[in-house]
Amino acid sequence: MATEEKALQKELMVFEQHKGEWLQNHPGDFVVIADETIAGFYQDYESALKAGLSRFGIRATFLIKQVWAEEPIYLIH
Amino acid sequence: MKFPFSPARLLQQGPHIEILISATRLEVDEGRAIGLEYPDMSVRALIDTGASLTIINPEIAASCKLRQTGRQKINAVGGEAGEYPEYAAAISFPGSELPSLDTTRVVACPIIRQPFFSCLIGRDILRKWLLKYDGRSGEVEILA
Repeated sequence: MATEEKALQKELMVFEQHKGEWLQNHPGDFVVIADETIAGFYQDYESALKAGLSRFGIRATFLIKQVWAEEPIYLIH
Repeated sequence: MKFPFSPARLLQQGPHIEILISATRLEVDEGRAIGLEYPDMSVRALIDTGASLTIINPEIAASCKLRQTGRQKINAVGGEAGEYPEYAAAISFPGSELPSLDTTRVVACPIIRQPFFSCLIGRDILRKWLLKYDGRSGEVEILA
């Protein structure tokens, strides 16, 4: 689990740095970030994945994150 | 698609279905072209109206080489709360007419009650289906 916890840390920091401005222009969209490169914004997860693979390649890691003001907490009952 | 359980089995085990999990079709196709292999895995999944998202056992993510695309905050009854890795996956339903999901998000969280289930199909997938549950007859029907 340690690898998964460390993965995408830089990308998550980039997300936090830009979240305020993105909430104005891209609320609800999915952003794709690899390292510090922002690939773009997409209306659904599938389009974001496709764009990330196309831009960064299959061997690259990249973050796909929906632009929310408040991070949702999902309930499992 | 109808799933004829007995009322007793439906009561004891809940509505469940065999599924096939793998990396997304895009990755499998692209990976194959450059010699990468992405194994798939057949597992039993509980159809869980109480789960917001689809959850898998973390071992599945590793075995199927799923791509991590983020993290999700999960709060589970019983105290397992925290942030867990989110992966891109494809899910198909062998032996049924249900359409495959070529790209869907799953979260790896060790809350699954093994050995009975390795996956919880949550409301993110259920939002694509009509689910009929008849506890009297034991019949469960899914219309996609």
